[in-house]
Amino acid sequence: MWKKSYFILSALVISGLGMLLLVYLQSHRSASFETAVEMGEQLAQQGREDIPACTGCHGGSGEGNRGLGYPRLAGLHPDYIRKQLRDFARNPLDIGVKVDAIARDYTKTPRIYKDLTVYSPGIRSDAIMNPIAKALTPEEIDNLSEYYARLPFKARPVAADFQTLENGRELAARGKPEYMMPRCSACHGPNGEGFGAIFPPLSGQPPQYIINQINKWQRGERDNDNLAIMKNISNLLTDGDKKTIAAYFDNMSYEVNQ
Amino acid sequence: MPRFKLYYLFTVINASLVTAITAQEIDPLEVRPSLVEPRVSLPTELIAVPVVNPGEYYVPPKVEDIPDDKYGDMVRWGREIFVNTQVHGRRFVGNGLNCSSCHLSEGRQPYAMPLWAAYGMYPQYRSKNREVITIQERIQDCFRYSLDGIAPTLDTPEMEALVTYMHWLSKDVPIGVELPGRGLAPISRTRSPSHINGEIVYKTRCAMCHGEDGKGQKHKNGVGYMFPPLWGGDSFNRGAGMNKIRRAARYIKANMPLGAGYTLTDMEAWDVANYMWIHYRPFDPRVGWFLNALGPKPGGGW
Repeated sequence: MWKKSYFILSALVISGLGMLLLVYLQSHRSASFETAVEMGEQLAQQGREDIPACTGCHGGSGEGNRGLGYPRLAGLHPDYIRKQLRDFARNPLDIGVKVDAIARDYTKTPRIYKDLTVYSPGIRSDAIMNPIAKALTPEEIDNLSEYYARLPFKARPVAADFQTLENGRELAARGKPEYMMPRCSACHGPNGEGFGAIFPPLSGQPPQYIINQINKWQRGERDNDNLAIMKNISNLLTDGDKKTIAAYFDNMSYEVNQ
Repeated sequence: MPRFKLYYLFTVINASLVTAITAQEIDPLEVRPSLVEPRVSLPTELIAVPVVNPGEYYVPPKVEDIPDDKYGDMVRWGREIFVNTQVHGRRFVGNGLNCSSCHLSEGRQPYAMPLWAAYGMYPQYRSKNREVITIQERIQDCFRYSLDGIAPTLDTPEMEALVTYMHWLSKDVPIGVELPGRGLAPISRTRSPSHINGEIVYKTRCAMCHGEDGKGQKHKNGVGYMFPPLWGGDSFNRGAGMNKIRRAARYIKANMPLGAGYTLTDMEAWDVANYMWIHYRPFDPRVGWFLNALGPKPGGGW
């Protein structure tokens, strides 16, 4: 009888201590996380020396700039933002690798260096973002990523004509199979809402931003996608396709963190 | 007794000496075949990715051009079943796949077993069935093996809808003519495939979508898979054609990674197909559990 009660008592004490430890760890972790988000918010709103405020171009709540084609950051995956900032900060390799413009002559068979395209180090050149990202410390990159990943966003769908939407749906749901181009929704989600840290959302982005990025892939100014998949797909897109797909995803309703 | 012990000790020392000497005798410069191909940082492999010319492959009609009549309704329903089998073909499916998980772009992609190239080729003799089968019986086998479920009977409305969708998709296709892009891409083989190299290829190229464990990734709403499982209980069973290493390698060569087909070498496609094949998947429904558990695994040859 005595032994049994001792056993129950000790079990209760141990479990109580464990719960206290859990609560302490949780509060400690969330407190540090909150400070990170706050520091990210402060940097995004006010900037510091060498770094202008992010809100100047990306909007007061990270909604982007439609007119100038600056991307929305609110609600993106934190790992995605982190990777992009690191790629902005990276110097292009100076080992004699020259990224040519795409081969427009489709009768020629392009030959690709497998080792370089598959294990691309991640280069993203941009006149505005490169010096900013180089000035950021790793902690600041983390803080900004966590801050923007937690911001809410709701897209305002923009009307487009029927034919554009039909063609856009054709590309988004079926791609161009006669040219071996997969559909957008295979990786970017059925409604363009993105999937995980690798595949960013297309819905809710300014259409000019999407067009600009595909242009950059075609010119070789952006080369930071996994397995060079998006680079290959961009080389199969015409100028009309870019406008169509941007208008189609601009027409989608989309909300995140609401 | 002590003499015997001494003898034992001598033999042990002698044996260890012999092994040490033989280990030294191996020429360090001898070229040994390695399963893992060596990699260097500079580009050594130049891969030719074929470029598709306009008009090279058949172009099926657009979804927007489905006629607005009873036939068109059947085509639309067949497409729904084909694209979202998890919802519209729920009563026949036993795993987590859709038809369009393998037949890419809603059955339109060349070298991904396109429907338009198959429709005109049936009825045909099929060695797996050992008889001449119609297109409906072929679809039944898809449900039985690749979807690991129950074969719909020939008169089910789902079967009629699927055949109508195939019929509409292969408009103007000649009967009995092998079209370019039919079935799977050709592939060469220069050595036996190795699942050790295949694991490296899988971790670097495939795992980002299909998952480290090969079980795929589900949609955010939990219905069906965004990236289909390659093995495990929700994948195709051991009787499926994709369980054959050769067939999986031919599929991977032309289509995977999605959007960057032909970037794997032929042997890398073989290796990763072998790595897929060694994992667990549902049993072959043609034989009982005893043969499935203890018998030889089908699909290993080529």
